[in-house]
Amino acid sequence: MAVSFRAMQAANKRKTIVLLAAMTSLVGVVIWAVALYAGYTSVGIVPFAVGIALIGTWGSYYASDKLVLAMTGARVIDQDTAPQLFNIVHEVVIASGMPMPKIAIVEDDAPNAFATGRDPEHGVIAFTTGILRVMDREQLQGIAAHEMAHIANRDTLVSAVAATTAGVIALLSDMLFRITLFGGGRHSDDRDNGGSNPIVLIASLVVIVLAPLAASLLRASISRNRESLADATAVEFTRNPSGLRRALEELSHDNTVVAQRSTSVAHVWIESPLDSSMKNRLFATHPPLEERIATLKAIENGTYDN
Amino acid sequence: MTYVIISAVVILLLAVVAITQYNGLIRLNNGVSEAFAQIEVQLRRRSDLIPNLVETVKGYATHEREALEAVVQARAAATSAQSVHDVAAADGALTNALRGLLAVAEAYPDLKASANFSQLQEELAGTENKVSFARQYYNDNVRTLNTTVQGIPGKFFAGWAKVTSREFYEIDDPAARNAPKVDFS
Repeated sequence: MAVSFRAMQAANKRKTIVLLAAMTSLVGVVIWAVALYAGYTSVGIVPFAVGIALIGTWGSYYASDKLVLAMTGARVIDQDTAPQLFNIVHEVVIASGMPMPKIAIVEDDAPNAFATGRDPEHGVIAFTTGILRVMDREQLQGIAAHEMAHIANRDTLVSAVAATTAGVIALLSDMLFRITLFGGGRHSDDRDNGGSNPIVLIASLVVIVLAPLAASLLRASISRNRESLADATAVEFTRNPSGLRRALEELSHDNTVVAQRSTSVAHVWIESPLDSSMKNRLFATHPPLEERIATLKAIENGTYDN
Repeated sequence: MTYVIISAVVILLLAVVAITQYNGLIRLNNGVSEAFAQIEVQLRRRSDLIPNLVETVKGYATHEREALEAVVQARAAATSAQSVHDVAAADGALTNALRGLLAVAEAYPDLKASANFSQLQEELAGTENKVSFARQYYNDNVRTLNTTVQGIPGKFFAGWAKVTSREFYEIDDPAARNAPKVDFS
């Protein structure tokens, strides 16, 4: 068991790097396609796209603790309100060597939880009133460990990077579309655009049109990957896969979903409020619960195999 | 002239490696000390809960002198421990004594039903988990430090940085060394 969660962590970390590299290469391909399609001078729009994407995501990354709390209606509580919950989170804090996060409660009957914050010092873990009601101490410890793992793995930063990259691609595609539409685009005096080979033009247009779709697929894939990583890291903290496994089983038996279904914060919850209805694995922000439960069971039995 | 430049570069590189190694070893060593301090903090917290626990159990289970005595004695022994080995031994003894007392308490429904006891139980379960996670965190840190100190190149710098392998925190109780799962209910 000791080896397998480490193997799982290493595999997931490698996968994140591959996915982020794929996304970066996608940006490169899009820039190249823009250059081919609209001429090299049009590459001048790239800094604008990057700038706008950065402005758009940096704020929500930097203020993520306050922003997500406000969007989900979570209320930060103190130790006297929920002594047991504080104990449970403090246990995981000791196991992880991380600073103590703020703890928040969301008034919602659906069992769920999330973590956010730009760095461990600004970490927040929120639990719904529903999860506190249905789960026992050991299950809550597993949930707290999963959320602490998100904080320890800096997942707010990873998802901000993924969002920025996807944003750059979407903006480039959009800007180019507008330029072409409003009389810009190719001029006959553009001699630096790789000739006027129609195949090259069509190919680059296809790349530009499809790139935003590919980017959101990659982004969802990164999100799923970080969920698996958080499960593995949670086991590293508690050395008790059955707590989290039983907690996820509890979530899979439960049909209620959290009331706010805003897509912009869907990825932060431990169980996605959207995926079950979307029925679309490619765009899902979380791996299916059954798959996560099966992996944890394999770790329990020492049969986890990459 | 070329030789001067080459040797200057080599010396500079060696200095950078040496400083990085030195600082790395110091950081790991301090990490272990900090992790040990965390164990002691949690052990003290547990120790502070005991007088209240003993009083509460006494009120309901007057005949369980033996189990109560064992806890009180183990607690007294734990206060004088200093080295990692002694602290771990005293911790193991107290963990066992507490487990014995809570097993005895099972036989007293009135005790189990009292609000004070159930609150104490949660505090003890929490503290017991914290102690065991602190042990785990300490041992993880010791493992990293020892691997570095005994491996290459850490081996060559450990003497200079005055960092040596540290002792693992091992308690005599095989159950408590495994998954930190405490169920007092």
